[in-house]
Amino acid sequence: MNNVILEKTTRLFLKVMAIISLYLLFRGHNSPGGGFIGGIVLATGFIFYGIVFGSNEIKKIIRFNSRTWMGIGLSLVILAAVIPLFFGEEPLTGIWYEGLWPLLGTVHLGTPLIFDTGIYVGVAGLILSVIITIMEVLEWNT
Amino acid sequence: MGNILTILVALIFVAAIFTPFLYGVWRQKTGLYLSFIPLLIFICLLVEALHLAPHEGFILDTPIVFLPGMNLAFRIDGLTLIFGLLISGIGFLILLYSAKYMAKYERQGHFYTYLMFFMGSMIGMVFSDNLIIMFMFWEITSVASFFLIGFDHHREKSRQAALQALLITGFGGLSLLFAVILIGNICGSYNVSDLLRQHIHVGNHPHYYLILTLIILAAITKSAQFPFHFWLPGAMEAPTPVSAYLHSATMVNAGVFLLMRLYPVMGGTVFWKYSLMITGCITMFLGAFFALGQRDLKRILAFTTISALGTMVLLVGIDTTDSLKAALVFFIVHGLYKGGLFMVAGIVEKTTGTRDIYALHGLFRSLPITAIVTLLALVSMAGLPPMLGFIGKELIYEAKMQLPDVSWLILPLSVGANIMLVAVAINIYYQLFTKKKDREDIVLHYKEREIPFTMLLGPVVLAISGVLLGLYPQMLNALVSNALYFMGNIVYDTKLSLWHGYNDVLRVSIFTVLSGILIFILRKPVTKLIVKMIVWFDIYHLPTLFTNSINNYLKGAARSTNRIQHGYHRYYLLTFFLVVMALVALQLFRMKNMEITDTAPGPVKLHVLMLLIVSSLAVVYTVFTKSRLAAIIALGVSGYGIAMLYLYYGAVDLAITQFLAETVLMVIFVLVIYYLPEFAILSNKKTRLRDGIISLGIGVFVTLVVLEARFLQLNEPISGFFAENAYTMAHGGNIVNVILVDFRALDTMGEIAVLTLAATGVYSLFRFQIKTIKKLKRRGSQELTEPDSNN
Repeated sequence: MNNVILEKTTRLFLKVMAIISLYLLFRGHNSPGGGFIGGIVLATGFIFYGIVFGSNEIKKIIRFNSRTWMGIGLSLVILAAVIPLFFGEEPLTGIWYEGLWPLLGTVHLGTPLIFDTGIYVGVAGLILSVIITIMEVLEWNT
Repeated sequence: MGNILTILVALIFVAAIFTPFLYGVWRQKTGLYLSFIPLLIFICLLVEALHLAPHEGFILDTPIVFLPGMNLAFRIDGLTLIFGLLISGIGFLILLYSAKYMAKYERQGHFYTYLMFFMGSMIGMVFSDNLIIMFMFWEITSVASFFLIGFDHHREKSRQAALQALLITGFGGLSLLFAVILIGNICGSYNVSDLLRQHIHVGNHPHYYLILTLIILAAITKSAQFPFHFWLPGAMEAPTPVSAYLHSATMVNAGVFLLMRLYPVMGGTVFWKYSLMITGCITMFLGAFFALGQRDLKRILAFTTISALGTMVLLVGIDTTDSLKAALVFFIVHGLYKGGLFMVAGIVEKTTGTRDIYALHGLFRSLPITAIVTLLALVSMAGLPPMLGFIGKELIYEAKMQLPDVSWLILPLSVGANIMLVAVAINIYYQLFTKKKDREDIVLHYKEREIPFTMLLGPVVLAISGVLLGLYPQMLNALVSNALYFMGNIVYDTKLSLWHGYNDVLRVSIFTVLSGILIFILRKPVTKLIVKMIVWFDIYHLPTLFTNSINNYLKGAARSTNRIQHGYHRYYLLTFFLVVMALVALQLFRMKNMEITDTAPGPVKLHVLMLLIVSSLAVVYTVFTKSRLAAIIALGVSGYGIAMLYLYYGAVDLAITQFLAETVLMVIFVLVIYYLPEFAILSNKKTRLRDGIISLGIGVFVTLVVLEARFLQLNEPISGFFAENAYTMAHGGNIVNVILVDFRALDTMGEIAVLTLAATGVYSLFRFQIKTIKKLKRRGSQELTEPDSNN
């Protein structure tokens, strides 16, 4: 299968999906979106990419094994759970930081962002893991 | 000084995590460099010990709080210092020793990781002020012990011994958890310092016997007491440094430590006394008895360890000031000589290649330093002056003689055990180091001067400290007094001395030694008798019994799993639906009397109605279509329809998630559909009818439940709380997301973990298939190229 238009569109599609997913992730705390939704959007981009180019191409883009990404996601989640302990709080309590940064104005960050990022990475990783596995069994496009 | 201590203990754990990487850099020097941490801890503790006022115990607090009431704080008093000094001191020597001993092993990085984890958690367990934290460290020591026993995991025996030890100590750990929770609930605090300060004793509580049973179970499994003693000889499959450290000097003493720590809270009752005395007595005698019949040096030492642990438990059970003092001193004595002896066993094994004491002889000439050190350690074990062992044994005899009621039974048994230990000690030295003229010289792999000093340092230092403490036992007075103060609130001025005067105790000691020598002289018939008795005991061979019961349990589990997990997806669904239906029906039936305030349905909007109709039609189409692709698309239509419904009613997040999930599902379906077999109806009419009825039924029931739920207000709905506090407490405008990542973050964490597991499951199910595909492909390409190469 060698379709230039399809290939170009898919490449673009992946980038757009990645940006949208990040947007959804960051705005998630105040308006619809969040790590889970963002993760699925990102994975969808990759799925289409994989359907066109094959799972090996996905593997090349994501660099690490998809299961490693799952692990990274879980570790971030656990990190967000553990950080409050060092502030004398119960695990998973949100720890917030508020400060004035140059260029950006007031910045408001907290451990829930780490948590949500963990969910984002984890969800994307696990969907990709399943998809890649299925594609390899089906010998899709290889 | 205190803060340094907590940092150092944290450093152990950090070092443990990074050891595999450090090993890549340091290679053979890893043990050497790592040993600095326990050495520093030892020095810290020594400084603390020297500055400790007679009745002083203090807390080193850390800001780390795991859960309310679970703060990580270190408790420094006489008892913890005695244990901590021994653990860190021997830990330092063991790490030095391992550097050489483990040189030829593979996976040394792992070895040091486990060892460091063990060391950190053992120190943490001893020092932690909180009982729950203590339990956590207790469990980590069990797990570390599991990995270390099974370190040579390619050997079946090793794996089995590791599993056995883990199961037994894990069982004890569970009991400990229950006991700790019960104690915490009764006393209102998990902190040892609170319990001690308020002089809480749970003896009058109705649950006292339950708690005590659980605590004793924990202690006797960890400390290898009868009838759980058999895991300890099995644990000798571990590399020798591990046996020296975990299974003689430190970990197995954790049970004794637990008893001593909880003595002010639980101890002193009749049940406490007699259960501990009986277990301890049996263990003490049995261990010494079996030790005489062994050939393997490490097994001999393991059985003497069991005997020593029995002695300690017995002493704690005797429950007098003298006996507690004796138990503490004996703990130090035992750690010093047994750690040294195990290290000697390792050296002998390295140099000669065997541990069978009857296969060796005349090693004195080739291993003079080792021989002298062994002699000192064995003298301590036999309880002869001038070693600390002598003082320990004198104290033990004294404590047992003062026992009011049962001294007539316990004294002879313990004298008997000691006689056998004396015989064992003489026998070990005689077999290993004296020369027998009628046998050939032993060929050595190394000469002694080729053994690096790091390996010899351990036994030498331990033997010398045994001598020094024996000659100047007053060095221990302050610590032991302090420990006794915190154990029994006993203000007691400990005065240890080597010479007690010519009294009953000394007469018994002399009798012990003489009888020991007599048994040694008669060793051949005695050993034969014991071996015969061991064979006779083997009908009730506990390890085999244990393995069999575990195997039977597993078989039973497999059988029941096969019945429940039959693997037919349709029957799973059937079961699930039927059970849900039955439960719902029951509940509906029970709630019949409830008043249902019927509210008039609001006006139905036209677009909602249209969505509903489209979705329902799509579902009907899905059921009756003969094309798989059409069915999937129809299913998607109904899914999107539901998502639209969510959207209309304002659940945006839910709608987005539903849309995305539907999309991904469709894509995957389309991906796979090409590979599915042709669509066919295989089941007969009857089955299809049954399935239809059940699915209709479940649908009806779910609808009923949803309708019913509208009118039910069991509690104040929690959504109000979330809506009010989302912005003020969690700084978020999107309630759904705030619930997911903040209010109910634990749920989310669990869900993501489950999803990860599911993905891993998918991968592992297909892994072999992928591998075979790749192999086939490789073979295919080879076959394609082969004819060319032939031509």
